[in-house]
Amino acid sequence: MATPETLLELCAVSHEYGNGGTERERVLQDVTLCIAEHDVVALLGPSGCGKSTLVRIMAGLIAPTGGEVRYRGQKLAGVSPGVAMVFQNFALFPWLTVRENILLPVGSLPEAEQKARLDALLATVNLGAYEHSFPRELSGGMKQRVGIARALIASPEVLCMDEPFSALDVLTAETLRNEIGRLLADPHHPLRTMVLVTHNIEEAVYFATRVVVLAAHPGRVEVVVPVDLPYPRNPDSPAFQAIVANLHAILTRTALPDTTADAGKVVTQKDGARRRIAPVSLPPVNPGEVLGLLSHLEDGERDVFELAERFGKEFAAVVRVVKAGELLGLLETPGQDVRLTALGRELLAGSTDRQREIIREQLKRLKIFELLLRLIGVQPDKQLPEEDLLRELQALLPHEKPRPQFRTLLNWGRYAELISYHQRKRLITAYTRKSPRPGASPSG
Amino acid sequence: MTVTATLNARARGSMWIDAGILLCVAGLGFSAIEVAAEWEQPLRAAVAIDLSPAALPRYALYSLARGWIAYACSLAFTLLVASWAFYDLRARRFLLPALDVLQSVPVLGFLPGLVLALVGLFPGSNAGLEIACVLMIFTGQVWNMTFSYYDSLRGVPPDFRLLGRLYGFRWYHLFLRIELPSGAQGLLYNSMVSMAGGWFFLSITEAFRLGDQDFRVPGLGSYMSVAIERGDARAQVFGLLAMGLVIVAVDRLVWGPLVLWSRRFKLDDFGAAAEESQVQRWLARSRAMQAAGAWCGRQYRRFIPPPVPAALRIGAAGADDPPARGGGRWAYRGFLAAAVAGLGWGLARFALLLFRVDLVGWGEILAAAGWSFLRVLAAVALGTAWTVPVGVWIGFNPRLAHRLQPLIQFAASFPAPMVYPWILLLVLRVGGSLEWGAVPLILLGTQWYILFNVAAAAAAVPADILSAAALLRLGGWARWRKFILPSVFPGLVTGWITAAGGAWNATIVSEFVHAGGQVYQATGLGALISRATDVGNFPRLAAAVLVMALVVAGINRFVWRPLQAFANDRCRFGN
Repeated sequence: MATPETLLELCAVSHEYGNGGTERERVLQDVTLCIAEHDVVALLGPSGCGKSTLVRIMAGLIAPTGGEVRYRGQKLAGVSPGVAMVFQNFALFPWLTVRENILLPVGSLPEAEQKARLDALLATVNLGAYEHSFPRELSGGMKQRVGIARALIASPEVLCMDEPFSALDVLTAETLRNEIGRLLADPHHPLRTMVLVTHNIEEAVYFATRVVVLAAHPGRVEVVVPVDLPYPRNPDSPAFQAIVANLHAILTRTALPDTTADAGKVVTQKDGARRRIAPVSLPPVNPGEVLGLLSHLEDGERDVFELAERFGKEFAAVVRVVKAGELLGLLETPGQDVRLTALGRELLAGSTDRQREIIREQLKRLKIFELLLRLIGVQPDKQLPEEDLLRELQALLPHEKPRPQFRTLLNWGRYAELISYHQRKRLITAYTRKSPRPGASPSG
Repeated sequence: MTVTATLNARARGSMWIDAGILLCVAGLGFSAIEVAAEWEQPLRAAVAIDLSPAALPRYALYSLARGWIAYACSLAFTLLVASWAFYDLRARRFLLPALDVLQSVPVLGFLPGLVLALVGLFPGSNAGLEIACVLMIFTGQVWNMTFSYYDSLRGVPPDFRLLGRLYGFRWYHLFLRIELPSGAQGLLYNSMVSMAGGWFFLSITEAFRLGDQDFRVPGLGSYMSVAIERGDARAQVFGLLAMGLVIVAVDRLVWGPLVLWSRRFKLDDFGAAAEESQVQRWLARSRAMQAAGAWCGRQYRRFIPPPVPAALRIGAAGADDPPARGGGRWAYRGFLAAAVAGLGWGLARFALLLFRVDLVGWGEILAAAGWSFLRVLAAVALGTAWTVPVGVWIGFNPRLAHRLQPLIQFAASFPAPMVYPWILLLVLRVGGSLEWGAVPLILLGTQWYILFNVAAAAAAVPADILSAAALLRLGGWARWRKFILPSVFPGLVTGWITAAGGAWNATIVSEFVHAGGQVYQATGLGALISRATDVGNFPRLAAAVLVMALVVAGINRFVWRPLQAFANDRCRFGN
């Protein structure tokens, strides 16, 4: 048997978005990847790691700003000849029937050929009875089948799927996954080369011959984990579970590196001189989410993945909440586990006012909040215009989008009664506490 | 049993429908010849209008032909210019403001220049006058269509464009298979509005005086204007009936079926399934139509080959589009340069014209603008006062809305100036003058836009909000102030924008009314424009048109835009 032929090569691919001016965002850095025949590569990673950009580069839809893409040894210029794509939100034309949508790529073939291909595909994806329906009458799972059929009909050599199951409900996604698994298990099926973008570890292990774990900001390859299990794979088998556990550990390490406890904090050294410290962004979560997480940790430490499963949430989303808790000194994360700190316990036991007070004190210790309060302080009228803060954030955290960070800061600041925001005038001011009860006279 | 019965019905129906379609085609052909003959007539400034009802079908045909030719031009302009503005960033920066300004120029402001230029171009035939008339209808139709299509181009889901690239779409595939379907609904809705806008000035665009010349082309509008001038009530009634019939027929035979058909182009998932209209069913049953459809399909495939995705092009060298040739780019630059030069020349001529207006003239124009402003304000306020309660009432009662909608639509598309003399009569009867009598005249044409939009906004209020308002026992004024008015405010603002723009346009015809051989005038910018046209005082006309365009554009920029931004920021439901 000949060695499988290399189809797609990415050599040190980097990509930056932006207008070429100051507002540039580096989404990919030095990604080198090689996809041979019968490879199933899963791209796994948190949001912001450039997964979607990476598949679009593979499909030739985006020309990377650095590095080179080769298809069958030839430098890619324009759309890849052998790559088809399945979109997260299906991208079906609502004005065409299922049949017309699927036939879209092969309109140039003779009609008999079109019909033969269509019939074969409709049988494969179990859509025969829907041929003349419009997409809006179909459920999400059926729509994605149409999307897959449309991608397959031009007999591509590589099928790229950008989060194909994440717009579907859990049960539907399961069904569709099993069906695609069966296709992969079939040695006679022509298409067994795939690139799958996902944030779901089990999905990655279920399909992939190689799982590429990406890290974010900027997106880069963290590690590549080979999966040598035969198809069809059984998610309950110990071998499968072992790989999942390994990936869990890797992802946790990527997402929650064991940094020093005072990262991003304002640190005052004994001689009074401030150490220069880069501010760390606050993960985009709400105070309510962090408090909710704390109450789940009351009776001991837990694994991040177990929590994700329990909340029915995406792993990356839980990691964001954990990170926020850690930054505020309410949680610590030894290895894969999460547990409360003493302060976290105190907060859980405290009254609502006390909770707010603790968070207020913790926020004040964060570099980013210290800067925010200082910025308000230096305004002549102690009112900070929104656009000024946005500009500052862009400069302070060049890898982040300023708008979400701005919203997170506002959320936390207002929750802790540190700042107040006038939405109509778009001004941020320091919060002045009103006397809690009309009876209690303000001192002074 | 039933199946065979329907099959038989189809077969039987088919023959009659075929015959009907044959008649229609023959009729269209005959009409085309008739219209062409009228266009080739030697130029005679004021054609005699026959006021007998028997002449009405022919006049209706002429007016319809003008309306549809103008619409075809509007559509072509829309597709070209909106796409140009969308794809060419540099052109966009200049095109959008230009369209905005053009939109604010009163339709009749284009009239004298167009007529004189085109009559000069075709000295021997009626074609110049006809083209001028068509172009004026065009200027009343085109702008909102262009903006709508530009917006829908921007709204095309990015995934669709990616898909197009994956499957090797050329520009014409992109246009026919993605952009046009995505924009279909908005374009259709705006086409209906535009057609109505085109009829509005029919009685002026088909018959007007310019200096000492009387221009008239045969049509429903000129029929009405002659009937009004002579005070012939019988002819006026017949003319109104004919106009109404034309509007209803166009709505039933063209827009209705198109609206039903276009539902499939809804981009979200919640649209109703595409329905078949009666007309469509008839057409589907005709063998002749089926044959014609098949023929069209074959021609389409012949001239527009399907896209070839890269995956099917393996082996073929040069997988991607060839780079743009230098020649094309130079031609484009040449075109741009020519356009800029032409524009500059036009502006220079215009400026020279303006220099001939003295200070007193400018003062008069500004004072007149003030008066017209007050009238527009009064008309919009009056319109708001009655349409908001009624619109909310209609919007909250879906069944009522369903029943009233065709009526409102009819009222909105009926050219109000045709009934001005009757209203004026009423005003004079109660002892008023046109000075304030112009207000109801303006109101007549523009209130419907407010009603439409308020009713739509009220109908879109989420059921939860309705329940909450009911539970809070908001009553009386508080209910209006805290709940209803904010809920419909975005719709109200949209209605105001359209209504106010229309109102400024309408001042031209409502402050200067010919009726029963007499001319009634009010002090105002509209009257000033009409009078300047009448006596052929072009410098004054240019200055007045400029002032009106500036006022309309200024109000748009400094009042409506901020108000709209505010409404969209604060008064939208969802998120």
